[in-house]
Amino acid sequence: MAVSPLMRQAYPVWPALIAAIACAAPLAAVAALAVSGEWSGYLAHLWSTRLPVYLINTLHVTLISGGLAVVLGAGLAWLVARYEFTGRSVFEWLLALPLAVPAYAAAYGWFDLTQAAGPLGMLPTVRGATGAGLVLGLTLYPYVYLLAREAFSGQSSDAYEAARTLGARPRDAFLRAAMPMARPAIAAGLALVVMETLADFGAVSHLGAPTLTVGLIRAWAGEGATADAARLALILVAIAFLIFALERAQRARARQTSASGRRRPSRRIVLSPVRAFAAAALCLSPVLLGMVIPLGRLAYRALSAPVTRDLVSAAQNAVLLAAIAGVLAAMIGLAAAYALRTGTRRGALAARVAGLGYAVPGAVAAMGVLAILGLMQTWIDTAWTGLFGSVFPVMLTGGVAALIFAYLSRFAAAAIGPADSALSRVTPTLDGAARTLGASANETARRVHWPLITQGALLAALLVFVEVLKELPATMILRPFNFDTLAVIAHNYASDERLGEAALPALLIAAVALPPMIWIARRIVRSEGVPSKDVRPEAGH
Amino acid sequence: MTLDDRVLDVRAATVRFAPGRPAVDGADLRLTCGRVTALLGPSGSGKSSLLRAIAGLERLDGGEIRFENKVWSGPGVHVPPEERRCGVVFQDYALFPHLSALDNTAFGLRGGDRAHRRTQAMARLTSVELEGRAHAFPHQLSGGEQQRVALARALAPHPDVVLMDEPFSGLDRRLRAELRETTARALRESEAATLLVTHDAEEALALADTIALMSEGRIIQTGAPDTLYLRPNSLTAARLLGEVEVFDATVSNGHATTPLGAAPAPGFAGGAKVCVLARPESIQVGRADADGALATIAERRAGVGQLRLVCHLTDGGREVMARTLLSARHRQGDAVRLSLDPEAVHVISADAA
Repeated sequence: MAVSPLMRQAYPVWPALIAAIACAAPLAAVAALAVSGEWSGYLAHLWSTRLPVYLINTLHVTLISGGLAVVLGAGLAWLVARYEFTGRSVFEWLLALPLAVPAYAAAYGWFDLTQAAGPLGMLPTVRGATGAGLVLGLTLYPYVYLLAREAFSGQSSDAYEAARTLGARPRDAFLRAAMPMARPAIAAGLALVVMETLADFGAVSHLGAPTLTVGLIRAWAGEGATADAARLALILVAIAFLIFALERAQRARARQTSASGRRRPSRRIVLSPVRAFAAAALCLSPVLLGMVIPLGRLAYRALSAPVTRDLVSAAQNAVLLAAIAGVLAAMIGLAAAYALRTGTRRGALAARVAGLGYAVPGAVAAMGVLAILGLMQTWIDTAWTGLFGSVFPVMLTGGVAALIFAYLSRFAAAAIGPADSALSRVTPTLDGAARTLGASANETARRVHWPLITQGALLAALLVFVEVLKELPATMILRPFNFDTLAVIAHNYASDERLGEAALPALLIAAVALPPMIWIARRIVRSEGVPSKDVRPEAGH
Repeated sequence: MTLDDRVLDVRAATVRFAPGRPAVDGADLRLTCGRVTALLGPSGSGKSSLLRAIAGLERLDGGEIRFENKVWSGPGVHVPPEERRCGVVFQDYALFPHLSALDNTAFGLRGGDRAHRRTQAMARLTSVELEGRAHAFPHQLSGGEQQRVALARALAPHPDVVLMDEPFSGLDRRLRAELRETTARALRESEAATLLVTHDAEEALALADTIALMSEGRIIQTGAPDTLYLRPNSLTAARLLGEVEVFDATVSNGHATTPLGAAPAPGFAGGAKVCVLARPESIQVGRADADGALATIAERRAGVGQLRLVCHLTDGGREVMARTLLSARHRQGDAVRLSLDPEAVHVISADAA
């Protein structure tokens, strides 16, 4: 039957358009800044001195974190998707939890353990670009894991079995049949890992691997060279967009690799006790290395350090900011999902632009927000002074709103995916059914859409909540005077070599992020393979 | 006003999704309250689009839809679907996955308190024999049960018009026959004007009082099921309702002569080019010593209660399909004589073919 837009277009595109403009504005501002600012010669100086180091470090860290994330993420995804062993159903979601650990917290823990005087001093010290890459890979691999697991468990086992009957041994069948089919999912996960690695500031600066983000923040904060910082930012964004484009191209090709014919869920292979034990140990190790061991070390250090007084207000600030950003991001995600659902070109454009923020590192978003608000401040100041002869009393750039603006610009993209997949449960004929039963468009949204998308909206909000809680560079740049979050005080103490004091806020971030992360992981794992038509009823009906 | 005056009138309705040929191309249709009209056509003929336009789920690009004296769709007018009192049974049923069978059925009920609405909904479910599954969620229901909930839900608010889009398409043959009975009973009780969209001629013949044939966006013939079967006005219409043999002929003396004999062609002038249409069961298969055209049975296939014979005409070399009782003793290779049952053949102008 032909596509029928009338029902889907009962909902407006303009909220998504506004959100898209707001989300893309900081990036545009940075670009404008980079082009228009004065050429102070700092960049030329930088090019002849530190820029090559930044680039090499960025490449080095990214290769290691990306490589480790793919090996861990895809390998473990294959293990839990295709084999049955003790604890598999727990590992299935447990493996996603290191996402609750900020990379800098893991970096503090590992560095402290492996430095010469530490309890694991006999090991090579975790530092430099290699160390940072390993730490980032260990905390970010769940992105690859979650997407690859979904791909492997959704995959019909037919291709794998066909390969086996054609004479391929299990390893060859995995490499030649199963892997290529999951490649788009793995690439999407890898792209996320690379974006996060590019955006990281806390871990790389603590471990002494000055990447582009470090250089950018040094140029901006240390040397006050705003326009040059913006040019560095553009290099960073260009790399991120290249990754983004590669991933999209890969995804476009994926259509031909999606399974043909009927899909039969594969039966998992039961492992012998010895192999089952090995599998469980394999699954446990990244959780130990990425989460339990570094956090354990931080807990140990926290015990012997004084509790600082700024902790309570920093925790309140962090949770409040993350909650506000989470709720607003979910709203933007839903707006974008509704815009996509209209099937119009405008709607798709709005959603895509709002989704670009995913490639914009936090430091870059923050710079853009500063530039925009600074410009607005100048306009308002001039107008105000002209009208009242006094100075405009409010500093736009020093407010919590500026922070939220930057968070949304970067993280609203993360809410679009979950919101869109939640809304895809609402097929156009459900709208038709509700409308012909006498419900108006608004009533349909309330009685049919909302109950079906609540959990997806919550998932989107919690994802952004966790991300914002861990976020460091944007918060550092934009936080109002005398306003700290857990991430900021952890970073400040850590860069003063006061790891004991840094340990508690870092641990608190993980402690607050962990419950929502468990909910998210279990929900993602559970929703696997359930066709949208027979979704379980939500609670309360 | 009597029931017969309550009609839904579709005039020259046009629905266009993209440049090029419209999905619905000037269709005329009339639905009467208390009667079931089947809209029969091949897939892609625009049936579903026309149904959706009547429900208000598509806008008309031309023409008009009115119920009684109120224009629902027309130039500058589009009454939203929620104000049309049209119950729709969708092809995928479109049950709300978060609501039980009972809550699905009660969705369209307005006014009164919740308990009252639930009682009404329960009565509806009972009428489709689903009272025992009232608290089950859609994913817990079988395909047939889902279809009946969809029907109960559409009928619950006592709509003026009931629209069903291939309501039996996802079900197996036996279940289909059973559900047809339940559906027919429920529809008779409702006194709504009903439109049943289907591509299955058997279904249309079994359920409908009137059949409208649709092809390439247009309604090509409307009438009682037996009239359409025996007296189609075109070859397309004839083929929509089942297999048909076509013989080109020229009229002389009020008859059209075919290899199987003459067929009465009243109303055609001498020399007119015509097509003689014969359903396979109106081709009589006689013994070799009877009257008719000599033929050999090329293929014999037993069906449900009938025997299909592909006969090879000795003169002219064409093949003719005939249908006889299963008990008839025809074998492959048998020589037979074929003739037309003059009562059951139908002659149309060659232009209409």
